[in-house]
Amino acid sequence: MKLKLALAAFAAACAFALSGPAQAQDKPSCGANTGQAASGEPIIVGGIHGNAAPGDFSAATDAAAAYFKCVNANGGIHGRPVDYRVENDQWNPELAAQAAAKLVNDTDSVALVGNGSFIEMAVNAATYAKADIMVMAAGCAISECFETSNIVSTNQGPLPSNVGAAQYAQEELGAKNIACIGLNIPNNGIWSCQAVIDFMESRGGTGSMALLNPGAPDVNSALLEAVSSGADTILINQPAGLALAILKAAEEQDLRDQFNWIAPTPLYDLSVPDAVGEYWHGHVYVNAELAPFQVNGPDAQNWIKVMDGFANPEDPRDTFAQAGYLSAKFFTETMLAMDPADVGDRAKVSEAIRNIKGLKSDLMCGPYYVGNADFHMPNHAGYMVKIVKGGYEIVRECYQYDSPYFEKIIALEKEMGVQ
Amino acid sequence: MQRNLFHVTPSGWAGLAFAAFAFLVIPAVAGQLWLSVFTSASCFALAAAGVAFMYARLGMVSLTQVGLMGVGGWVMLRLNHAFHLPFEINLVISGLVTMMCGWVLALPALRLRGLYLALVTLMAAGGLEIIFATFQFPNGGDGFWGVKTGSAAPFARPWLAQTPEAYLRYTVLVVILGFLLIEAHRRLAPGRAWALIRRSEAAAMAAGVNIVLYKTWAFGISGLLGGVAGGLLAGSLGLLDDATFRASESVMLFALAVVGGARYWLGVVIAATLFRVLPALLNNWGVDADISYVIFGAGLLHAVITAPNGIAGQIHDLFGKRRKAEAGEKGAGDD
Amino acid sequence: MDKSRLLNWLLYAALMALVIGLLGWGKPMKILGLFFASGLAVGSLYALGGIGMVVLYRASGVLNFSSGAAGAAGAMTTWQLAQWGVWPPLAWTACVVVALLATLAYGMLIAPRLAWREPVVKAVATLGYALILLGLVSFIWIDDPRSIALPTDKMAVNFLGMRITITRLIVFVASIGVVVGIHQFLGRTRVGLHMRSLANDRDLSALIGVPVVATETIAWGISGVLAGFTGLMFADLIRLEPTVITFMVIPSIAAAICGRLESLGLVLIGGLSIGVIESMLTLSPTLKNVRPIAPFVIAALVLLWYQRGTRLTFSGRD
Repeated sequence: MKLKLALAAFAAACAFALSGPAQAQDKPSCGANTGQAASGEPIIVGGIHGNAAPGDFSAATDAAAAYFKCVNANGGIHGRPVDYRVENDQWNPELAAQAAAKLVNDTDSVALVGNGSFIEMAVNAATYAKADIMVMAAGCAISECFETSNIVSTNQGPLPSNVGAAQYAQEELGAKNIACIGLNIPNNGIWSCQAVIDFMESRGGTGSMALLNPGAPDVNSALLEAVSSGADTILINQPAGLALAILKAAEEQDLRDQFNWIAPTPLYDLSVPDAVGEYWHGHVYVNAELAPFQVNGPDAQNWIKVMDGFANPEDPRDTFAQAGYLSAKFFTETMLAMDPADVGDRAKVSEAIRNIKGLKSDLMCGPYYVGNADFHMPNHAGYMVKIVKGGYEIVRECYQYDSPYFEKIIALEKEMGVQ
Repeated sequence: MQRNLFHVTPSGWAGLAFAAFAFLVIPAVAGQLWLSVFTSASCFALAAAGVAFMYARLGMVSLTQVGLMGVGGWVMLRLNHAFHLPFEINLVISGLVTMMCGWVLALPALRLRGLYLALVTLMAAGGLEIIFATFQFPNGGDGFWGVKTGSAAPFARPWLAQTPEAYLRYTVLVVILGFLLIEAHRRLAPGRAWALIRRSEAAAMAAGVNIVLYKTWAFGISGLLGGVAGGLLAGSLGLLDDATFRASESVMLFALAVVGGARYWLGVVIAATLFRVLPALLNNWGVDADISYVIFGAGLLHAVITAPNGIAGQIHDLFGKRRKAEAGEKGAGDD
Repeated sequence: MDKSRLLNWLLYAALMALVIGLLGWGKPMKILGLFFASGLAVGSLYALGGIGMVVLYRASGVLNFSSGAAGAAGAMTTWQLAQWGVWPPLAWTACVVVALLATLAYGMLIAPRLAWREPVVKAVATLGYALILLGLVSFIWIDDPRSIALPTDKMAVNFLGMRITITRLIVFVASIGVVVGIHQFLGRTRVGLHMRSLANDRDLSALIGVPVVATETIAWGISGVLAGFTGLMFADLIRLEPTVITFMVIPSIAAAICGRLESLGLVLIGGLSIGVIESMLTLSPTLKNVRPIAPFVIAALVLLWYQRGTRLTFSGRD
């Protein structure tokens, strides 16, 4: 436990150092910002994360919890505090269903905020639609999260982030043939790698995918498959742990200079530059789906203040935490704009969330909106960064991703007038 | 020692009383969360009954049972999304297909025993794990594997059991039928043949028992129960995920059947409770998921060390007045 | 007897050649070599895991599912010490020491209480221990991308145009060295004799005065050291994730099965062959996605092949 605390404190210190000379003494700004504790009847809000082997997706709900605590200390939502209840699906589909049963069916929750999981959305998408409850997720990795009616996420997920990385490689690094090393999971790796191939073909290039079973120890075969596919660029579409293993195998075979190396957001993590080692510094390009830490706009600073004031010191300060903070913030702003009489009514809250459009934050490149559709992907623009010693260097500021996949999304945005 | 097929032992009465309780009371009082937990637990009780019966009656260890549940669940989902047959027909087909898989597993059992047999079944479980992880479970897509991205197509629950309460009752009923099936077997010719085979295959052969037939039969029944359990689990969630059917889960289910007490119906119920209800309880109390692993592992070790006949065996010894006379008679069934 | 043995070897060689030939048909030699070398490294790790398992099983009758978890605990300790700036050789040694202690703790405190249970129950009980270790390790070190590096990762030899790091060579040579070493140990020393006699018949060995407990403790120790070494190499060559290292035992059991849980040489050959075939399957467009199934299919086939023609008649020993 002590170790855990020490590690977290270290991570916090890093994040803090990166955030620059933020005015730590300042109070964070949350919700109505009254400085008065809320005391009315609580509004129940749920959240589901997955934290067990093989990964911890709890950063987003931790950050959302911190923001809600801050809101409760600052007037709540029309004087009513948020009762934020978080469940852990432990990467187990039955537990995921049970978590939804508890939060959605057994309690009068008005919405779910900050969800981060690999399986929860696939299991529960139908439950949410049936109960007419909206989920403002923050850590999405699978297609169900973006292609169903009641889930909307602040983070991008693998597909846009992949396409963004591929687009940068195609435009700046001269990539003509991209090999995408993905997980052999239809709604994650295959779904997001296929989008890269489609993108490359739309630009006159080609692509291929090499798939890896998540539990299989051997990552080298997938790398070799990508290497022997004739690609000039390798896209490592993997969780950070597997991505590190692949980079390590490539380093062993000294493949660095034969290819361009690109990756989606999972490699944007402050532990990564150290873990990959000096060999890779300056050679791996990573797409960041939210603003990198050095951008440090007002919302980024407020996020750090909220985390320092209301989160546990061991809670991570990473991209998912930013996404969780944003989801909670957009939710609170929406609730505050509602008629105070309606904020406890699930149907009316869902309606208000569907009507969200044009919310802005310096953490996100584009505006945040929801809309009434069977698919939601408000965040499809990002930054490109390069791994350097001790951190990341921005190589391209906010840019829109351009791919056939986004056509219907852009059409929806035009219809809603948020473009 | 010919006994009446319909004779009810004291343990049997207790089992029937518990079944009535599970059927009538639990669904009426549980919230949505616990309905979902108990439905899962019931499905795993049925699967555990298959493992426990093979172990207690024949001394054969199957470490594939959860994998076989996956097969049943796969067939169930595939049929549901491909045709619009009633749930019951799909369930029967899932059970039968899985039974055939059980027969395939029985082939090595004709030559192997003990640890080696267990390891072959573990290899089968490992193979199934990879197949499920690679091809996933059907969710309404096209083609043989039937997988698509986006939200899953709807799942048709039984006409009788549309609500979660009704579905739990439905599951409990099927589980009771499964227990009765095992008990009936135990009291008829197969039960006598299995008892002989367990003692000595040479003796069984000398007595004219068809060993190939009865061993295969036992694997078939265990597979059938696993398949039906998988089908019911698919019905409970409407979809399945490969994480449920890892090889380590099969090992765990067997371990818990031993901990619960494979000879007794109560042991199977305890196994399923430990497998699904305890983790849900720990989760509900907010225990860190990593720490619940530790608690779970320590409990498993403790029970294996201190309760040689399983927890149900200890309970049984506490209650059984005529335990010496009847210890050999009480079975994994309900009546 | 010798004739059938020769037949087995010929059959093995022919099958391997056939599989490699079929998978590699029409591919350039360089690519084949890359996949072959990559498979050998993974195969060596399977073999090392399997060897540790077989040594312990022969001497104590316990098939240890927790060796992967012990290795994971060791590897995470090494990472932690490296983070704290501890002298690297000390950090590597710590991996072996932690795995050794974790394994010995089970072998001395828990295993004796289960000595009278049947082998399957003894085996599944170790899974409970694996869960305890894995739970503790995951609790202490929250999920985060990590890696460890050995200086030998940077050194490499060029062989037929392929770059092979010294670490990979070490693993390969170690797997052979361990087999030879343990073989000598079992054949030449008194403890080795005791182990062989325990493997042969436990009850009789105890009757003629073999120090069962001491011999078993040494076996647990050897398996703990091997678990630590395998864990360290796995963390360096494959990845440093406790869950993945823990469940590496399942393919390791496949390698152990190839040696009938008794012959170390066959475990080695089995592990290497499994690794190579698994890696070569990547070359097949239809089978590449299910390549991790290779250990299980191979082990099941091997087990059935060994048991061909036998009939079970008398209960008791397997």
